[in-house]
Amino acid sequence: MKLASTRALVALVLGGVLTLGAFLGTFFWAGVPDFGFVRVAGHTDSVRYQGPFEQKIDEARYLANYVGYEAEIEADGESYAGRVVEADESRVVVGTDTGDAGAPKDTIAVADITSAVVRGSEYGRPDWGQKIFYFHVPVAEISFLVFALAAFYGIRFIMTRKREFDTRARISMEVTLTFVSLTMMTGILWTRAAWGVWWEWEPRLTTYFIMTLLVIGYFVLRNAVEDEERRALYAAAFSILAFIDAPISFFITRLIPSNHPVIERGGLEPPMLVSFIVAQIGMILLGYAIYQLRMGETMLKDRIEHAKTLLER
Amino acid sequence: MASLSWRQFRAMLKKDIVMELRTKEMLMSMGLYSLLTMVVYFVALSQAGSAFDPRDIAAGLLWLAFIFTSMLGLNRSLVHEKDQGCLEALLLSPVDRPVIFFGKVTGNLIFLLAVEALTIPVFAFLFLQGETVEVSSLAFVPLVLLAGSIGIAGVGTLLATMSVNTSGKDFILAVLFIPLAYPLLLGTVTATGAAIVGGPDAMHAFWAGMAWVLGYDVIMLLASYGLYEFIVGA
Repeated sequence: MKLASTRALVALVLGGVLTLGAFLGTFFWAGVPDFGFVRVAGHTDSVRYQGPFEQKIDEARYLANYVGYEAEIEADGESYAGRVVEADESRVVVGTDTGDAGAPKDTIAVADITSAVVRGSEYGRPDWGQKIFYFHVPVAEISFLVFALAAFYGIRFIMTRKREFDTRARISMEVTLTFVSLTMMTGILWTRAAWGVWWEWEPRLTTYFIMTLLVIGYFVLRNAVEDEERRALYAAAFSILAFIDAPISFFITRLIPSNHPVIERGGLEPPMLVSFIVAQIGMILLGYAIYQLRMGETMLKDRIEHAKTLLER
Repeated sequence: MASLSWRQFRAMLKKDIVMELRTKEMLMSMGLYSLLTMVVYFVALSQAGSAFDPRDIAAGLLWLAFIFTSMLGLNRSLVHEKDQGCLEALLLSPVDRPVIFFGKVTGNLIFLLAVEALTIPVFAFLFLQGETVEVSSLAFVPLVLLAGSIGIAGVGTLLATMSVNTSGKDFILAVLFIPLAYPLLLGTVTATGAAIVGGPDAMHAFWAGMAWVLGYDVIMLLASYGLYEFIVGA
């Protein structure tokens, strides 16, 4: 009893250190991947510098987006080169040097332009949102794992009818609820950062949302049944039925076209992979710790109740 | 022995049908409820005018009506059994538990199909008048209805057996049933929608939806059948 709670505390501390360490560590050794790129007119030194870019403009009115960029414009059989000084829907002003007021400038009507090429520099846009991967994915994985544990203890309870397994199943489900909530929260933050929306009815998100509802439903069901043995049986049966949604949610990104990212085999760089694995181990330890601590608390409560009834006699 | 189970099954089914024909409570309440749902649909869609194609949303609206109507019926069917002590008598009688399960499922399935058969013409009359529908693919709709209703009746019977013994019966059934029925609904709506709208890819989408539904039916019926024995005796 005492040993179990000591182990749980050690797991809690170790798991916390590993998860947090892996998460913070990735900022230093795993690097930040680029999330698209930014285009600017001039070259400024930056570690994110990716090189010069050159683009052919399909429609001349888009030149309005490239004020300050180097441009080569063909219009009415003549060619103009220089920086775009001014541009709007109807005309474009091209000069040799934007800094000098007296420098020669050419004004070209947009309607006359037959082709235009603009040049500038490209910089990577750091994808800080990707860092949540080291927290969100391990948490989500563990939520499936503890859900499976809850269903497993549900089956064990139905087979043996021992009260202990019902308690274990209930506490596994509590841990599942914790992890599922964390997954939902981090997931929602990430979708906002990466997709620009808080929520999307997308296969993985939808099935996971359904899983959340099932876990909540489990506790609603438990609270609605008075009789203890009946409550345990119903809860066990429901957890088994509910668990059928978990594999669907887990594999759906591989079955149906989905926006949700998937880790491909060999798709992670070694520093990322190591951080990810450390975070996973840490998260397993955390899950174990929460489970054991709750278990120890429940057992103590039971002992107190038992002692009370003995004293009342 | 097989014939004995079969006779018991038929007796259970007959009991359900006779009881229903005497009171007509389930069919009446479910039928009225689905009609009322149509009224709500009309109000909900009244602001959209003719800006949308009713055929595109017909499948979703139909299954929405079916799922809520079925919950009403499932609850009724088990509340009867419990209030009148019929379930206890059934458990005392030398009838195998699986027979009780399949008897109840079949009874619920029949009432559900009856209400669906009533709802669809009304729905078509109210919302799909003057729309062109592909008759060749429309003939497959009964197939989805049957497969979907089997899934609803199978899981629903198990969950309703649980929820009648809880405080807040209807609410518990909804909380447990709707998330569990989600994969089924996804398949049925896909298949029904494909059959109603038609087109060159309709059959492909239809069978993709049907594969979901049939897979769900098999897994969930087996799971419910396995668990019913423990639930009904608790």
